[in-house]
Amino acid sequence: MKKLSKILRIVGIAVLISPFVIAWMPFLKDVLLAGVSPAYQNVVFGSFQQLTVTLLTTLAVAMVVTIVLGYFSILSMGFGRTSRNILDGIESIPAILVALFCYAPVSSFLASSSQSYSSVVSLMVFVFAATITTLPESVRGVALPLSELYHRKYSVSFRAYGFTKGRILTILMNSRTMRDVFRRTSASILLRTLVLDCSFGFIIQLGMGSYGTPAHSSPGALIAASRDVMFNANLTAGRTPLMFWLPVILLVSVSLAFLLLLGNDKEAE
Amino acid sequence: MRFLNFLLYELGLRAILFTVIGTAALSSLYLLSIGAPAEQYAQAGVSFVQMFVGSGDQAQSRAGFSAGEIIASGAAVTFPLALASLLFLILLSLTSASLATSSTFLAKDHGHVKSGQIFKGFGFVSSFLSAIPVFVGFWFLGGIYGISPPFILIPILLVTIGGLGWDASRFLISEMRRQLDTTHTLVFGTLGPPVGRVFPLPGTLTGYLVNSCAPRFIPYIAGKVPAIIGSVTVAEMVFSFPGLGRTLLDALLTKNTDLLISAVFVLLAVNAVVTFIVKTVLFVLYPRWYEKAL
Repeated sequence: MKKLSKILRIVGIAVLISPFVIAWMPFLKDVLLAGVSPAYQNVVFGSFQQLTVTLLTTLAVAMVVTIVLGYFSILSMGFGRTSRNILDGIESIPAILVALFCYAPVSSFLASSSQSYSSVVSLMVFVFAATITTLPESVRGVALPLSELYHRKYSVSFRAYGFTKGRILTILMNSRTMRDVFRRTSASILLRTLVLDCSFGFIIQLGMGSYGTPAHSSPGALIAASRDVMFNANLTAGRTPLMFWLPVILLVSVSLAFLLLLGNDKEAE
Repeated sequence: MRFLNFLLYELGLRAILFTVIGTAALSSLYLLSIGAPAEQYAQAGVSFVQMFVGSGDQAQSRAGFSAGEIIASGAAVTFPLALASLLFLILLSLTSASLATSSTFLAKDHGHVKSGQIFKGFGFVSSFLSAIPVFVGFWFLGGIYGISPPFILIPILLVTIGGLGWDASRFLISEMRRQLDTTHTLVFGTLGPPVGRVFPLPGTLTGYLVNSCAPRFIPYIAGKVPAIIGSVTVAEMVFSFPGLGRTLLDALLTKNTDLLISAVFVLLAVNAVVTFIVKTVLFVLYPRWYEKAL
């Protein structure tokens, strides 16, 4: 019975997270979004494709930095204390401010550059901002359990065999406990980046009135762009309330998948 | 002496220094990204100082707002919104953690399986609410009440949806469940206190558990203040509240560097004040835990 509920949960999470996979299957556009205009279909698919790329790139960069910082924080006390103070400082600044300050001012530069070049720069700027904002929590999430493991009995016996601190930490990094920690940290990074990307897209759309910036479309910006269809009775042809609700439902679906993953892990913890 | 050290570290070092460094870092980032020449950096610093120590007319002519007006918008809108959200977050996490822990206790020790199942359903609903982006909720609220919704609904919405309340409740639930299995809780339980299902009142079992978890819960809440301020900023941008969020967006749009730096400074100062209040609570109630956390 417990196994069945576990399988059902995995299937449920897979279904909830499917928008990211479907976004890369453009031949499904007409089947899944039959009631909306082709232009809107393209925007929905495009925004989720961009979101997938943003999330994966941020995850890769943030995880590498987190592992390196977490490892060296325990290896060297001085480094750990300094990095903790810096990360505390970063954490005291709201994430949306960091993103706005990193991103919004370069929008005019991105608009004047070529499409492919501005796409790459836009992604890099956002990944930088998202990594900065996720680092304090993720480094803490890795360094604390690593430090706990290092001070347990078996680490002491490692030391008795003459293993260096660096080597013990490398071994501990490959332990099952730490692999679970990395999985939890990844889910947390993904969720935070998703929230930041969409809130940021919404704000930019609200303030600057375009699909985010020229090179960075986001479901959040799409929701903001379609917000008038919700409460405006005099809609022009082709604009339906579905244009607001569709990205909302897809966004809720993927967020719920991450939350369930994170919730599961916290319960197991 | 202890209190003096606390003030020196939390107010002097963390609050003031982090606010100044944060403002300098964000402003430099902004100036760097708009490709400002070197002299504009110094000019921005000078005009920032002039805005706060100079005359109101001088600030009005440079930034369009006087320092008093920016501080007033932070004090009148952003600060109360952040504080109300924080209080509601604490209230929500205490209530949901009491419900969850008492359900676990009753299911485990008294065989009341039904209460556990009810809480599982409640947990799924709260996960679903957390998955709704906070700005969608704000826009929905805007659709019902227009651009000036009742003030109190904003903190409630900010905490209930978007994950803040979910995360805080999860944290407290896992801490309280861990405490439930400890020997001292078992001993307290033998005295036959009321369970305290809905709220952890003093003298109840859940009240006892919250008391044991508070030294870890309070720093956690302090860490959530920037996220609350961020969401309040989003709310101010969506609605017509003349708070710092709106001022900041206007400054970004008009590329008004002086106004931008002042608004960021006041926003980070509000952040620091709310964090300082939470840390003071920890220091006064649990001084040993505060020192341990350092």
